[in-house]
Amino acid sequence: MGIFKDVFTFRKFGNNMNIVVLLKQVPDTTAKISVSSGAVDQDSVTKWSMSPYDEYALEAALKLKNITNGSLIALTCGPARSSKMLTDAAAVGADNLIHIVHEGYLDSMQIQSLLTAAIVKLDGEVILCGKQAADTNSGSTGPGISELLEAGCVTHVTEVSFEDGEFSAVRLSSSGSEKVVISSPCVFAFDKGLNELRRPNVRGIMMAKKKEIISFSPEDLGISISDSKVQIISHAPPAEKAPGKKYEGASSIQTVIAKLRDEANVI
Amino acid sequence: MAYEALDFYEIDSLLTEEERMVRDMVRDWVDKEVIPNIEHACRDGVFPDEWRVALGEMGVLGAPLKGYECPGLSYTAYGVICRELERGDSGLRSFASVQGSLAMYPIWDFGSEEQKNYYLPKMASGEWIGCFGLTEPDYGSNPGDMITKAEDMGDHYLLNGAKMWITNGTIAEVAVVWAKLDGVIRGFIVQKDDPGFTAPEMKGKHSLKASVTSELVFQDCKIPKNRILPGVKGLRGPFSCLNNARFGISWGAVGSAQACFHSAKDYAMSRIQFDHPIAAYQLVQNKLAWMLREITKAQLLAYHLGKKKDVGDWIPEHISLAKMNNVDIALEIARVARDIHGANGILDEYPVMRHMANLESVKTYEGTHDIHNLIIGRHITGIQAFTREA
Repeated sequence: MGIFKDVFTFRKFGNNMNIVVLLKQVPDTTAKISVSSGAVDQDSVTKWSMSPYDEYALEAALKLKNITNGSLIALTCGPARSSKMLTDAAAVGADNLIHIVHEGYLDSMQIQSLLTAAIVKLDGEVILCGKQAADTNSGSTGPGISELLEAGCVTHVTEVSFEDGEFSAVRLSSSGSEKVVISSPCVFAFDKGLNELRRPNVRGIMMAKKKEIISFSPEDLGISISDSKVQIISHAPPAEKAPGKKYEGASSIQTVIAKLRDEANVI
Repeated sequence: MAYEALDFYEIDSLLTEEERMVRDMVRDWVDKEVIPNIEHACRDGVFPDEWRVALGEMGVLGAPLKGYECPGLSYTAYGVICRELERGDSGLRSFASVQGSLAMYPIWDFGSEEQKNYYLPKMASGEWIGCFGLTEPDYGSNPGDMITKAEDMGDHYLLNGAKMWITNGTIAEVAVVWAKLDGVIRGFIVQKDDPGFTAPEMKGKHSLKASVTSELVFQDCKIPKNRILPGVKGLRGPFSCLNNARFGISWGAVGSAQACFHSAKDYAMSRIQFDHPIAAYQLVQNKLAWMLREITKAQLLAYHLGKKKDVGDWIPEHISLAKMNNVDIALEIARVARDIHGANGILDEYPVMRHMANLESVKTYEGTHDIHNLIIGRHITGIQAFTREA
């Protein structure tokens, strides 16, 4: 399975580490989602975007790349349309683009296996991803691949730095935030942080256009996806919100106050 | 409500991936940085300096120019940039048009190597703002009779005269000024600190309020001999610049129209009168359908013209038609959108009246609507009707 080695030279020396950021293309958060026959109708989605938590992971990965002088690999697993997102990542500074192409449904464990197989081939030392995808919200990818890689995992991360051979991650905790020091291999699952994804520029876009996307099938990675251990029974749209009540005129003030106090418990 | 650009015929699907990425970059910036701040900028009558910085960082200034650290994009991409900027505000697009097509372009096309290397990188990065001095108080549609003149004083040129309606004038580091040297129109590069040069701002505009408009005054303004543009003589110089700027405007007007349509549609869907959204009434639907129709036609004109520019198969009359038509329909769409918004349409909570007021300027600058008709009339008949003289 030297397939990746044929394409790139991934070397580890000094601080030149391989940073892998996992990206998922999801329906844009402003897109209308419709459910038909118990499943989300993917064909009705008009706009696909990078999952917002992944954007925070990508920004952190770009910063980490600058600090460590490492190589940033953007990796996604999904249908052909997802490749646009990799080009977008290249436009802001991703060095290598890897696409595990699969058009049909993949359960979360299959995705973790595929991503892990690719990460191993890529010699990925530090892995960054969003804490959950904006479509499935399952939050299983980061912890799942850390288990398969036998790597440490820090979740709900808002920032990562690297000093003296160790990573230091700030994560949200019940008492505020906490700092976790960890060495590679490790996985960071990102929450919304302070640093939004940088905007590309024309130069980046023109460079990205020339950047090759290396595509692989599950078979290339030696992963069989014939059986699934996870079964989604059905999807359903969220229940419609009950219509609001409208009160007009000074005479309704007492009623409104009573409802705000006794029913809504906001005053 | 997130912005959804009207694109009924999916004309943007004809763009290259690179052009779409540039579109998304500019659109996202306009959404995040321009739309939330534009009304404030208009009230204060300023062009926010951070917009200059951002345009430079995005690398969109002088979009279609190649080399000298310029972006090197297609003309179609330049059009797309203008469209997305003008969806925010015509003043913003004016800034980019003037910088790229009117100040950078003449240096790029007619300048010496030394001039190109010195000015273009700093202008592409947004570090230096440029302006373009052609129009004079008494010579607008008729620039050939300009009064501003240059005299060769042996070791320098001396400029005298005044220009008016100059976008970016007061904030510009570099002015490309057209003046007569021995009766022939020539281009000169004037720098902000040149002795005898001032650029007072024109105040009191009801239109393009977030754009700086100035006079350029030259009183024995002394400039070195190496500041003349060596590559062009006569009106061909400024008209070459205007062709590119007008091309950008033909796309920009589509952006304004899309913004007005978007706002009018949203408003019509949510405004209830007689127990129904006004969008349910036939008169309103007729207006929205007309807007969609005209925007779609304007998009097709702009796209096809972009392709013609990219392959170099165009004549100035093609640009005149697109500038004239697209600004004309955008202005009318802004007016109809204001009408659909009812009284709310006059508030700055909605973008329509701002676009409407802006487009009144856009209709007049860069060749008035009527002048473009005369250009096309001349093309049809072979008879010029600009002047009563033969």
